[in-house]
Amino acid sequence: MKYRVVVILAVWASLLAGRAGAHHSFAATYFEDKTQTIEGTIVQFMFRNPHSFVHVEAPDDNGQMQRWAVEWAATAQLKESGVDYESLKPGDHVIVTGNPGRTASDHRLRMQSVERPKDGWKWSGTVR
Amino acid sequence: MNGRPRARRLAAAVAACALVSTAAPAFAQVDFSGAWGARLHEDNLERGGGPEMNEFEGLPINAADRMRGDSWSASLWTVPEHQCIPHPADYGPNFSQLVMWSDVDPVTKDVVAWHTELSWMNPVRTIWMDGRPHPPAWAPHTWQGFSTGKWEGDMLTVETTHLKPAYVRRNGLARSEKAAVREHFIRNGDILTIVTIVTDPVYLTEPYIKSRNFQFDPGYRMTPYPCSVDVEIDRPAGEIPHYLPGANPFISEAAAKHKMPLEPARGGAETMYPEYMERMKTLPTATMPAQPAAAGTAAPPASPAAVGTPARTPER
Repeated sequence: MKYRVVVILAVWASLLAGRAGAHHSFAATYFEDKTQTIEGTIVQFMFRNPHSFVHVEAPDDNGQMQRWAVEWAATAQLKESGVDYESLKPGDHVIVTGNPGRTASDHRLRMQSVERPKDGWKWSGTVR
Repeated sequence: MNGRPRARRLAAAVAACALVSTAAPAFAQVDFSGAWGARLHEDNLERGGGPEMNEFEGLPINAADRMRGDSWSASLWTVPEHQCIPHPADYGPNFSQLVMWSDVDPVTKDVVAWHTELSWMNPVRTIWMDGRPHPPAWAPHTWQGFSTGKWEGDMLTVETTHLKPAYVRRNGLARSEKAAVREHFIRNGDILTIVTIVTDPVYLTEPYIKSRNFQFDPGYRMTPYPCSVDVEIDRPAGEIPHYLPGANPFISEAAAKHKMPLEPARGGAETMYPEYMERMKTLPTATMPAQPAAAGTAAPPASPAAVGTPARTPER
């Protein structure tokens, strides 16, 4: 019963709440039903609009090093969840999980979670 | 003799009516001023996370637009020239909080123009109310176009032309610069409804009509939305991600996912109407396509063009 109330409230809130719209469609950009995890080193963190990006050097499934583009949220949404432009820095070793992009050669993920083992810093959420 | 006082009274009444009719507006103009919160009751999924690949149902597109949609890749948004494009006037009301205000002539007190601003990318529109004509066809086209408005009772009707080529859906379906947009702004208490009717001789066979609701939100304050162009995905200059004809591997994916036939997902005016439901019952359910490998996996792509292998084509 409690679960049902929570679900109803969540749906209701999603219908009523105004949102900052994205410029692209996530369903058209990523395989939303798949996840992929990479582990590597941050080479760039772009805290920006329309969406932030974290570039991570990490191996692909073949062991080849790639520059992964991990798409994150817009600045306002990240600030709301406690992330700012200093939260991540080049050189940070991170573990990132996300939805893989539909274009394999882009080496792209939609951020679902990021963890920095060195100090235990973590973020997880839904990028809109 | 008795007729003269009556005639004088009648003349006085007519004069009084004439005076009142010139002193007051012909009808009460509705005030749209203030902040409005987007309400996403209609088409929620499409307006939130966005439509799926090749999901064209309910749209009066022609074959040319279907091909535009089939050849489109979402990676196009990462190209620098595309990163900070604001939603055009006919698409923007899908999202975002809305703020409206008017310019009033200090002498006549007439409303010269209405303005709208949306929170996402902060695009500002001007709707001219002073009767000025639209510019000639060769005049500059912009994302917000050129708009004029007039009152039809309590409804503000707006005509917009001179829009840059953009899209009718965020999955590649195009809308041309030849399109004309008619909007109706209707206020019922604290609810504002904007009805948008898009006609496009290039890509639409019938008008595309949609309505979007907003709720008065006096506590809302518009925030800046600076957008910066950066290298989101490192790719050669001039590369435009796309699928060649017949090479898009996702065409039946949305239809199969929702257990519906492929034909309605391909769009067209007939898919807008209730009677099309009967035809859908006679069609086979779409099958899920074999998906190309996700990024970073070892499997090779199904075909070079199918997964956006770099290809150089001139940008439209």
